Amino acid sequence: MTLSLPGADRLPKRKARAPKRPALDTAAGRSLLQALAVIAFFALWETGVRAGWISAFLVGSPLGIFAVAWKMITGGELLADTWFTLFEAILGFVIGTIIGSLLGLALWYSVFVARLVEPFIVAINSVPKIALAPIVVLWFGTGLISKVALSVSLTAIVALIAAYQAAKDADVDLQSLLISMGASKHQVFFKAVVPSTLPAIIATFRINIGFGLVGAVVGEFISSQRGLGHLIYTASSLYDLDTVWAGLFTLMIMGFALYYVIDLIERTSLPWKQASTTHQVQV
Amino acid sequence: MIPAPIQLSVRNVRKSFHGKAGEVRVLDDLSFDINARDFVSIIGPSGCGKTTIFNIIAGLIEPDAGSMHYLGQEIESLRGRVGYMMQKDLLFPWRTVLGNVLLGLETRGVDRIEAEGKAREYLKAFGLGGFENAYPKMLSGGMRQRVALIRTLIMDPDILLLDEPFSALDYQTRLYLEGVLKEAVETYHKTVILVTHDIDEAVALSKRVVVLSGRPARAKIVHDIDIAAASPIAARSDSRFSGYFHALCAELDIQTEKTT
Repeated sequence: MTLSLPGADRLPKRKARAPKRPALDTAAGRSLLQALAVIAFFALWETGVRAGWISAFLVGSPLGIFAVAWKMITGGELLADTWFTLFEAILGFVIGTIIGSLLGLALWYSVFVARLVEPFIVAINSVPKIALAPIVVLWFGTGLISKVALSVSLTAIVALIAAYQAAKDADVDLQSLLISMGASKHQVFFKAVVPSTLPAIIATFRINIGFGLVGAVVGEFISSQRGLGHLIYTASSLYDLDTVWAGLFTLMIMGFALYYVIDLIERTSLPWKQASTTHQVQV
Repeated sequence: MIPAPIQLSVRNVRKSFHGKAGEVRVLDDLSFDINARDFVSIIGPSGCGKTTIFNIIAGLIEPDAGSMHYLGQEIESLRGRVGYMMQKDLLFPWRTVLGNVLLGLETRGVDRIEAEGKAREYLKAFGLGGFENAYPKMLSGGMRQRVALIRTLIMDPDILLLDEPFSALDYQTRLYLEGVLKEAVETYHKTVILVTHDIDEAVALSKRVVVLSGRPARAKIVHDIDIAAASPIAARSDSRFSGYFHALCAELDIQTEKTT
């Protein structure tokens, strides 16, 4: 005789253990699909332009873009513009992140000062920094410095807020332990507070490298003789859409590369974070 | 036998906290003495301010009133001279096992090579040789707490303040670490104050047990535990063990016998 429990029929039936993954769900398979999507996108675009569905004058065409890009690469000007913009972005990112992080961490030292300046930080953060661009150009000229300054104004505030918040959130018990050991305030700061803020500060790299590029390109839009922003701006005023796209795609590749560099820094700089494995719940 | 000298004397300590519901009196006129090489457990209802006492002794918070004397001298606190261990192991996740053990010696400014040699020696003695470069995340709860114990002992503190150090561990690991602790305390001749809510643990480890009353905390009674067992596990099979156990339960108003 079998016992039947009330409601047992409502329980989920046992399923096959490992849910079947799509055949292409491997590193190579995903890359293949991604490449196919890109090719399909450009093929559709090119076909649309040739068939006259979309205007080559307003959107450009992939083959046109390629031709322009090839000419600029062999002529050397694309590489020169790329280096210039990249240099501005990285310089702005590094300076802004360092200044912001240091200021944010320093606020840990005095709760009084931190509370005093908190509304000002919020006020500065709420201004769209891009609106500063004309003034920055007035102050720092049309050269490298104005673009770096704009990047710094964008990145510093992000780093400052993240570092300050992380320092405030640093584990109080770890700090208490150090104090009970007789540690000074400096020792508590350097041994407990700073290391515990590092993950948050490194997390801002990802956002700030993007802001660094924004500052550089917008600075070049306003006034510049060089750089990808300058290239895009002048080409668009001449309705040279192919050149505009060539500049944009170069920026995209640059952003992409920087993202992976940051990713690498993130993974190698915090070895103690890597000790765990990640699990994903199968739904 | 000559009675051991009083090492730490806490006199008439008061402490209140200001919360939303007004003033909460946590310690009211609390006094007790700790003898040299004493092993005193403090038990009492939860939330009666046991941790507050430790924070005052360690110099993390200031009492509203009262005084403390160390070997007869009046002191503000024992900051820098205590070994504080809490329920959480409080290992620094970004430091390796060796780095964690070195923490206290670093804050003291001990020479790096000398400190490292000592740390490796301690790790070996506690069966953690070979784990020097592991990060805390990779260790089990018992191993982590063992590292925390080494970090505490290596500083050669005057008094160990143990705030429920084993309560987050499973029973087997707890029994094992109780043994490790007892042995280490005897080897290094340490004075220990242990806060616990585990009566069983208090009886098995201590020479004396202080029972605190509920909030505000006062020392209700002090029980001398006269069990000369080699280990905490052996202590549990001592004939007097259950007598102490029931006496302490009664002090804490826990019903241990069936009411007839």
